Amino acid sequence: MAAGSPIEFRLDPASGVPTYLQLVQQVEHALRLGYLKPGDQLPKVRDVVASLAINPNTVLKAYKELEVKGLVAGQPGQGTFVRATLSQIALPELTGLRKALLGWLAAADKAGLDEDGMVALFTSALRDFHERRGGTGRVRRGAARDEKEDIA
Amino acid sequence: MTALTMPANQGEDAHLRPLPLRRMAWPAWRQHRAALGAVAAVLGAVAVYLWLTGLQMHHAEATYCHPASSVACSINFTGKYGETAIVVSIALQAVPVLIGAFTGAPVLARELETGTYRYAWTQGIGRLRWTVGKLVPLAVAVTAAAGAFTVLLAWYNQPFVAAGYVIPFSARVFGLLGVAFAAWTLAAFAIGVLAGMVIRRAVPAIAATLAVYAGLAFTTGLWLRQRYIAPLVTSKPNPPGSAWVISGWYAKGGRFAFGDHSNGMLSAVAKLCGAASRRVIHVNGGVESVLNAPQCLAQHGYTQLTSYQPASRFWPFQWIEGGWLLALSILLLAATIWLVRRRAT
Amino acid sequence: MNVNVIEASGLGKRYGRTWALRECTLAVPAGHVTALIGPNGAGKTTLLNLAAGLASPSAGTVSVLGGVAAGSRAALDGIAFVAQDTPVYKNLSAADMLHLTATLNRRFDKPYARARLAELGIPLGRKAGKLSGGQRAQLALTVALARRPKLLILDEPVSMLDPIARHDFMANVMTAAAADGVSVVLSSHVLADLERVADYLILLSAGQVQVAGQVDDVLASHRMLTGPAAEADTYTQRPVVHARRGAAQAHLLVRATAGDPVPPGWEAHPVGLEELALAYLREPGAVALPGPARSRQAEQSEVIR
Repeated sequence: MAAGSPIEFRLDPASGVPTYLQLVQQVEHALRLGYLKPGDQLPKVRDVVASLAINPNTVLKAYKELEVKGLVAGQPGQGTFVRATLSQIALPELTGLRKALLGWLAAADKAGLDEDGMVALFTSALRDFHERRGGTGRVRRGAARDEKEDIA
Repeated sequence: MTALTMPANQGEDAHLRPLPLRRMAWPAWRQHRAALGAVAAVLGAVAVYLWLTGLQMHHAEATYCHPASSVACSINFTGKYGETAIVVSIALQAVPVLIGAFTGAPVLARELETGTYRYAWTQGIGRLRWTVGKLVPLAVAVTAAAGAFTVLLAWYNQPFVAAGYVIPFSARVFGLLGVAFAAWTLAAFAIGVLAGMVIRRAVPAIAATLAVYAGLAFTTGLWLRQRYIAPLVTSKPNPPGSAWVISGWYAKGGRFAFGDHSNGMLSAVAKLCGAASRRVIHVNGGVESVLNAPQCLAQHGYTQLTSYQPASRFWPFQWIEGGWLLALSILLLAATIWLVRRRAT
Repeated sequence: MNVNVIEASGLGKRYGRTWALRECTLAVPAGHVTALIGPNGAGKTTLLNLAAGLASPSAGTVSVLGGVAAGSRAALDGIAFVAQDTPVYKNLSAADMLHLTATLNRRFDKPYARARLAELGIPLGRKAGKLSGGQRAQLALTVALARRPKLLILDEPVSMLDPIARHDFMANVMTAAAADGVSVVLSSHVLADLERVADYLILLSAGQVQVAGQVDDVLASHRMLTGPAAEADTYTQRPVVHARRGAAQAHLLVRATAGDPVPPGWEAHPVGLEELALAYLREPGAVALPGPARSRQAEQSEVIR
């Protein structure tokens, strides 16, 4: 049907983010913004490699991670297709999280941290959190997992 | 990843048959057609020259040189064409080495010099077959071309031989006749190939080939060739026919006394015969003072001896020379192939 | 199936009195793009020449494609080598190069080669000497890939190319790796692009292997600790590869994982490939070898024992 994928990947080599993670993030971002809908095909590994000159294993790794997250599914011989939209977190939970975050920001401000400092601290902590989790997104909590089990 | 199915077994690998040597036919041609073409062009140009001038020479010889000792012959033939023939013959001595050096030296030297051996020796055919598949056809081609050219050279020299102006054994023409010309060309090629492999640069390899060949050719012409078969010795004043005179000397009582025209001879003659031995002859307006030494020394018991190679030995000598040059060529090419095999950068 | 495309044991190569490569033991797994990095003169070309069969070892052994002797018929058949400066015959046209390579090998995919050259805009009739540097490199790569090798070895393939040519070249290499499962070993002394391209790393310095392993594993087993310079000398929890000091602050590249404890007052960050490589290159004595994956024979013999 459609000749290619709706999205096209790009690379930011200076961002410090590993290549495969950039691809994962771009897919998730595209899902959030509606560029990708369930049923759409992700760019073929070969095409990504040809346009970005990156290692095919990297692309496969990114697609595998997305698959584990339940966002895509690979059809052997055909490609990788979007399976689900990004999970919608339940509203009460979102509100609660937001409130906690505002509280943290106030505390940080009181301790004398400026906004750049807050961002730096948050980014550093996020990185640690990501690594401790093994960076695979294996352990998923909350509505996403439940949703996945419902579909299965 | 698309699972890489790469067999780890040795069985399949061990049974990989080598690519046939004839695969090298096109590569050898394509890469060396320029050199071969140049050889053909040069030989062709020289051939045209030899053919045109040779026709004139044949005509003159046929017309004026029967008998060969006539004055007409020396005016219209030997006087007119003799010097040219000498110069041409000497120039032609360079042909084998030029062909051999310019075809042989670049074969390996260019590959090593430009780095393309890193492509050639990593192809599936392997470096051995690649080398052999190039060297053998080239060697055969230059040798065959030289062999064909010899026919023309023999034809060119034939009137001078017939008129007694030059003998086939003469250093000037021996290398142009029979199998020698082709054999020398092959040897030059083999020297060039080995030089190219060892020196790894085309121009120095060509220079080295010229130098080595020159040394070999001079050594052969001046020293080795006369020793292929032990020369005959005669006490007659003039060796028979168009024999190749090697040297002359005087002996007394079975023992060597002194060489012909040597200082020893001159002092002996002066001592024994004194001034009476001088005799003046006028020849063609010039004055030559001839020492009538032979008569004088003969009276005092000296025997004049001459060593020579009879004309009948011309072909045996050709085969001997061709034979050892062929053996040398094979040895040098084998050494080159051994070096290719061994040379691991 | 664990096959090693290049396996070396105690491999060494000497030129005259100088050892260009020493005590090199590694096992490069199939199905990867391996980057061989190191400064000039480190022995990269020597190692690749040994693997390609252009050189023979002075010490130790090297085998390719799962145990085949380097330089043997089977090795030559399965390996395509593109040497530094991508040598091609200058007076041969591209079409001639295709025909030549087809004649010299068992397998050659001429339609693929022609299609690639057409895509790249390289005219078949022009002599290779008249092509640009990038086009010559692409031509050399094309004939190498058209041989359908199991292993492609590239010696500093892009050092002479401008950025666009470099990108196109690597894109083609990566596509071949993706589409045809070709294992790739490429050497470079330019570190910047390697993280995108390589998933196996060999770091060579002064003729010896400093680092050899999967890029993910190597990066996951190193951390950059940042903390007070005063405490830097007394840090002993994990092996320190390289230290950089300011007056007050120091950065220590240590061999540690994400789960390892960080001394109080210190911060831990992951390390990028370029930074890690530079650190090792600055410390010739430092070595990080997870140990080469054993060949199946070695594993079997252990089981029996």
